[in-house]
Amino acid sequence: VDIDWLNPLRSLPKSVFDIPTPWGSFPITVSWGMVAWAAIAAIPPLIVLLYFLKLKRQPLEVPSTFLWHKSIEDLHVNSIWQRLRQSLLLFLQLLLIALVILALLGPAWKGTRFTRDRLIFVIDNSASMSATDVQPTRLDEARRQVGLLIDAMQSGDKAMIITFSDKARVEQSFTDNRKLLRERLAAIQPTQRQTQLGEALKVASGLANPGQTAFTDSDAPVADALPAQLFLFSDGRFEDVKNFFWGNLDPVYVPIGQPLAGNVGIAAFSARQEEERPDKLQVFGRIENYGQAEATIMAELYLNDALADASEVTIKPAESAGVTFELDDFERGVLKLKITPDDALAIDNQAWTAVNRPRRAKVLCVTAGDEPLQYALTTGRAAEIADVTFQPPSFLATPDYQKQAESGAFDLIIFDRCQPGGTPRPKMPHSNTLFIGAVPPEAGWAADPKAAVPQIIDTDRAHPLMQLVELGNVLIADGTPLNPPQGATVLIDSNLGPLFAIAPREAHEDAVMGFELIGDDGSVGTNWHVRLSFPLFVLNVLQYLGRGQDALASAAARPGRPVTLKTETPVAELTITGPEGQSTVVKRGKSDTFHFSGTDRVGVYDVKAGGQSVEQFAVNLFDPAESQIEPRTEFKAGAAPVEGQSGYEPSRNEGWKWLVVLALAVLLFEWYIYNRRVYL
Amino acid sequence: MSTVTPPLLGPELLAQLERLELVSRKVFRGRMKGERKSKRKGQSVEFADFRNYVAGDDLRFIDWNTYARLDRLFLKMFLEEEDLHFYALIDASPSMEFGEPTKLHYAKQLAAALGFIGLCRADRVRIESIGQPAAQRAPVLRGRGSLWRMIDHLNSIEPGEHVSLAQGVKNFCLRNSGKGIVVLISDLMDKQGYQDALRYLLAQQMDAYIIQVLSQEELDPPIKGDLRLVDCEDDDVAEITVSAPLIARYKKTLSAFIDGAREYCGRRGMTYLLANNQLPVEQLVGSYLRQRGLVR
Repeated sequence: VDIDWLNPLRSLPKSVFDIPTPWGSFPITVSWGMVAWAAIAAIPPLIVLLYFLKLKRQPLEVPSTFLWHKSIEDLHVNSIWQRLRQSLLLFLQLLLIALVILALLGPAWKGTRFTRDRLIFVIDNSASMSATDVQPTRLDEARRQVGLLIDAMQSGDKAMIITFSDKARVEQSFTDNRKLLRERLAAIQPTQRQTQLGEALKVASGLANPGQTAFTDSDAPVADALPAQLFLFSDGRFEDVKNFFWGNLDPVYVPIGQPLAGNVGIAAFSARQEEERPDKLQVFGRIENYGQAEATIMAELYLNDALADASEVTIKPAESAGVTFELDDFERGVLKLKITPDDALAIDNQAWTAVNRPRRAKVLCVTAGDEPLQYALTTGRAAEIADVTFQPPSFLATPDYQKQAESGAFDLIIFDRCQPGGTPRPKMPHSNTLFIGAVPPEAGWAADPKAAVPQIIDTDRAHPLMQLVELGNVLIADGTPLNPPQGATVLIDSNLGPLFAIAPREAHEDAVMGFELIGDDGSVGTNWHVRLSFPLFVLNVLQYLGRGQDALASAAARPGRPVTLKTETPVAELTITGPEGQSTVVKRGKSDTFHFSGTDRVGVYDVKAGGQSVEQFAVNLFDPAESQIEPRTEFKAGAAPVEGQSGYEPSRNEGWKWLVVLALAVLLFEWYIYNRRVYL
Repeated sequence: MSTVTPPLLGPELLAQLERLELVSRKVFRGRMKGERKSKRKGQSVEFADFRNYVAGDDLRFIDWNTYARLDRLFLKMFLEEEDLHFYALIDASPSMEFGEPTKLHYAKQLAAALGFIGLCRADRVRIESIGQPAAQRAPVLRGRGSLWRMIDHLNSIEPGEHVSLAQGVKNFCLRNSGKGIVVLISDLMDKQGYQDALRYLLAQQMDAYIIQVLSQEELDPPIKGDLRLVDCEDDDVAEITVSAPLIARYKKTLSAFIDGAREYCGRRGMTYLLANNQLPVEQLVGSYLRQRGLVR
């Protein structure tokens, strides 16, 4: 039986009205319930009856009813009010009985029972929480729900608020000050970042499971374990958290968002020069439909905020479609791709890419003469990417080199059969290096003695250096198998041992090739340089190690992720202006790079050096996990999946007590009226 | 009603009343020689008028001085002094039996006091009740010695006369055609209205005084609760639930009723006076009626 209309409290949020049977604790059969209902329903008519029976008026003889009749007639002019006034007791009794009946119905609303007296509210404020499928936004909905929970806190309950996107932030540590909690809750701002739950969980569990920070069994826990209930308000679009132990935390996951929320977002957007026609610029965008319904999308391309082109695509559910535009080449500018109509998540409906004047990598090649290498480094394509300087090994001893190596003037230094010198011990330059037929004078690097004809058995195709490089037809005369340091990646493995490996060093990387292209005596060490793969490899080296940017590939930054910038000419500081006009001054870091981490907003950032705009870069969401806004119903953290609960821990907040109290008050009032009614 | 009925007139009151006299705003013809001026010309020391002599007139009243000057005969006329007719008409309907003292008793006291004043001044005093049959006449009293007869007569008036006010007054007017002062003592609580009754009095061209006697219980009802009010005269029923607004409304109605009666009387040359049964008679007579001009 649908009795929801009976629920006097149904307008309350999250309220339910269950067990509408009087004396609900009895083992109820339907008939018993009906009898009870009938009994209760009979009471109000009974009271009305009693009221009329009660009207036995006391007879009183008076000299004349003449004036009384007149008075009553006068009063009847106002009769409705008079009747009300005369029936005040009746109404009070009816109200009283209504309250009693309501109380007997046992009205209750679903409330929150906290299993612990410590509460942790973990609120997702990543980009997808700005979706408007829940009005006004998901974050606001989460805030509202947390607000209700704060309201439901009993005295003595303590709560803390943590927000997380790709990093966690404690908005408010444990406190029982509800006003403070509400203030902090209201201050939570949405971000445009991605979502990582792990850090937030670690912060939350830090207090609940202090023992986890102990390294050995003998370590005493830092503090007593403080069990807490953790409420997670999120759309669940984050990676499952591995290696997490809930311990004393009771997780309650509240998914925020419409279950079938759909969204269309831009998943990729880039521009590059066409290979065949260098005067043309090809702009490519990928639009993904994350919804359940087919979407017809108008994609508009803007160049410097002027509409340049538009295209309409229809995308099937859970598929993506590409849009390509062709533009005449231009020096620099900002391309913006915008899709309409608007959907629940606005942030991925726009994407930007900045087209910059190409910055060429500065490369120093120290070689005693290596024709294949020199040829490969001086092709037209290589020249576009990099500015290569050739020096003999003797250059390494000059102060000029020392100075340039120290200041990081080069992006890449290629040591062909030579090593950097230096006193008292050899000093590695502040740049990426490629060693050919030599080993860096650096701890960790070592090489076995030269061995004949190593057979290449594996290459790491995933590494950018080895992309598109096919070594199947390459023969190597002799090589020195390498012993790379810890953390190195072997790129070419042979039957004798690693022949090419790359290892990080501070902010740089050292790639070491364990075989020579040309021997010191002019002998040919390998036939690689006559294969197609060699120039490709050299281009990879220039692009990856030289950080030589392809003409148009601007740094694809994600919100919240740091961006590393380089300038063609050394400057002390850069001024970066964000999409909302906020400016940040970035000081030069080590090795002539600038690290900028203020990429909180998507959009175009303008980089200025000495008042001159030198570069622009775009920050885009490009994250399927954020664009896919359909909330997950469960997630995994640690071993067990945590299922979403629509209403937290349900508990019955009994309302009958208040009704009975109210009824008593009405009874008292009625008694008063009964006794004092003459004066009303 | 109290079981012990207080005497109608106390000695002090009698002493006070002896000094008073009834005053009429009009000059009426009396029936016997009395102490009041009469319309009639007659024998007294006070000159009234001259008139031409006609044959047969008493030669003693010819003004010879005028005859000597004008050579014509004039007759001197003098004012006659006669007695005053004073009527007290008491409403003895059942409704007069309420109050402490009862309104009827109060009315009787009032009538006795006024009657005594009249007796002392040698006026014709007649006290009647409303319910008196048309044919029956009350005794006419004269002289101080008639006080006890008057008291006896008053005591013989019993409450419970079921005659409407108008009918009672009509009967009274039929019985007593003489001019004079009439004092109607009643609560005026007649469902058919008091206006007809007063009109009869008016037609009689008497100097009419209306004294409305109301009990304290009527002026300020001390009742509470749900009541069935029963009219003692016609058993009419009014069901009320007493509340402050009802009481207020009743008082408003009552004062409107009183004001209506006062205005009705005032317009027609009658004097109206409201008497609360708690107000001592001597005070009423000595001060209120004095102000109204009934006694002097």
